[in-house]
Amino acid sequence: MTTFRYILRDTGRLLIRHWFLGILTLITAAVMMWILGLTALFSLNVQNLLQKLESELVVQAYLRRGSEVGAVADRIRAMDSVTSLRALSPEESLAKLQARMGSQAHALDLIGENPLSWNFEIRVRSAQDVPNLARTLMAMEEIEDVIYAGMVVDRVASISRVASRAAVLMFLLSIMVTSLVVYNTIHISLYSRREEIGIMFLVGATRSYISTPFVLEGTFLAFLGSVVAVLGITSAYLPGIRLLQNSLPFLSLVADRRTIGQFGILLVGFGATLGWVCSCIVVARFMSSTTKPL
Amino acid sequence: MKIKFSGVSKVFKPDIVALKDVYLEIAKGEFVYIVGATGSGKSTLLRLITREVLPTRGTVMVGDVNLRRMRASDIPYYRRDVGLVAQDFKLIPHLTVYENVAFVMEAMSVPAKMVEYRATRVIEQVGLLRRRFMKPPQLSGGEQQRVAIARALANSPSLFVADEPTGNLDYRTSAEVMKILLSINAAGVTVIMTTHNQYIVDSYRQRVIELDAGRLVRDEVAGRYAPNDDV
Repeated sequence: MTTFRYILRDTGRLLIRHWFLGILTLITAAVMMWILGLTALFSLNVQNLLQKLESELVVQAYLRRGSEVGAVADRIRAMDSVTSLRALSPEESLAKLQARMGSQAHALDLIGENPLSWNFEIRVRSAQDVPNLARTLMAMEEIEDVIYAGMVVDRVASISRVASRAAVLMFLLSIMVTSLVVYNTIHISLYSRREEIGIMFLVGATRSYISTPFVLEGTFLAFLGSVVAVLGITSAYLPGIRLLQNSLPFLSLVADRRTIGQFGILLVGFGATLGWVCSCIVVARFMSSTTKPL
Repeated sequence: MKIKFSGVSKVFKPDIVALKDVYLEIAKGEFVYIVGATGSGKSTLLRLITREVLPTRGTVMVGDVNLRRMRASDIPYYRRDVGLVAQDFKLIPHLTVYENVAFVMEAMSVPAKMVEYRATRVIEQVGLLRRRFMKPPQLSGGEQQRVAIARALANSPSLFVADEPTGNLDYRTSAEVMKILLSINAAGVTVIMTTHNQYIVDSYRQRVIELDAGRLVRDEVAGRYAPNDDV
C-alpha cells in the first residue's frame, strides 16, 4: 500500500513535470482514437448495410416433379450457409408469375397445364456463400434448376470484401499511429529523466518501482485521450446520423444509444490497453539498456 | 561486509585496461583509501563493488556473494546495503534535500512516518537540517556532498563507498566530510574512498591501497598518500 502511494505520487509528479508533452500526447491520442472510432463506426455501418443487402439475396431452386418436397427442404435447411427457406407450391409460383407479368399474364393461359414445379426461395448468410450453395444444389438429384442473381451477388461480395479490407487497414493505421505517439511520449519522458533513473538504480530502487509511474503515465494519457475521442464521436455522430436518416430514411444505420454507449466503453478500454502495452514495451526496452552492467 | 578481489581484471572496449590482476581483501569495519593517478583504475574498482561494472576476469566477492553471479532482480536489494557517494554527487536537481534523502527509503516501501524520522535524522547528522527544503542547485559543493552522504546513510548500509568525496572541496569542508566518514566508520560500517587529497590521507591515517595503471602497487596499514612522504 505504501509503495502504491509513492508510485501514484510519482506518476502525478511525472504528469505535472511534463505537462506540455502530456497535453500534446493527449490531443494526438484523442485525435487518433477519434479517427479510429469513426473508422470503426463507418465500417460497422457498411457491414450493417451489406448484411441487410445480403439478407435480401435469394437463391431460387426448382425441384424435379415427383421429388419429396419436405425431405429436400430439410436437407437444404441443414446447410451452414442457409439462413431460411420458403417452399412455394406450383400454384403459388404461378400466381406470383402472373402478378409479375401484369397485363401479359393471359399469355400463360395458352400453355394450359401449370408448367411450374415446387420451388424453394433460399436466403443465405453472406453473398460469398451463394455460388457454392448454387453448385451444391445443382449437384442434388432432386433439383432441376437453380436461379440466382449472379452479377449482383458478385458485386455485393466484392464490395463487402473491399469495405472490410479498407476498414481493417484504417483501423491498423490508426492503431499504429496512436501506438507510436504514446511510445514516443513515454520514451521522451524516460529520456529526460535518464540521469534520475540511473541514480535510482544506483541507490537500490527496483525496476518495477521505477517503471510503474511511466507505465501509468502512458496508460492514463491514452485513457484520457480515448475519453475525449468518445465524447467527440458521440456529440458529432448521433446528430449526424439523425440528419442522414431524415433525408435518406431507407438507409439502415447504427443509431441506438445503447450500441453507441457500448462502442464508447469498448473504445476507451481499447485506448487504455493500447497505452498500457506501448508504455510497457518502451519502459522494458529502456530499462534493459539502462541497467546493463558494463 | 567483507570484500575480496581475486585476480580481477577489467578491460573496456576496445582495449582500455582499467584493472589488471588485482588481489585484495577488505575486512568488515575497515576504512580504506584508494589512491593513484587519474586513470589508474580507482573508480572502476568502486564500480565493481557497486556492480555497475562486471570484471573481464577474476571474481569480486562481497560477503558470500559473487557479484558476477548475482541475479538482476537481487541487485537493488544488494545496493540498498551499499551507501554510494559519487564525485559528481548524483543528486536529483528538482527534488529538495529532504526528498533526495527520502526517496531512497521510499523505494524500499518504508512507511511515510519512518521515512520522515530517518531522513530528518541523517540530514541533521550531516548538518543540513536548516537547508532541508532547498534544492541541490541552491547549495554549495560541500553541502551537496553532504546531501549525498546523508542519502547514502539513509538505509543504514553496512558498506560505504565514496568516489573522491572531497574532490571539489576546500580544506575546511573536506575536513568536515572526513569527520562524518570517520564517525560512520566508527559505527562499524566499512568505508572505502578514493582520493587525490594528500592532506586528508596523511592527516587521517588509515589503510592505503595504491593503484598504478590498473595494478595494485601498494597496500599499507595506516599508510601515507605516497610512501616517501615526509608530511
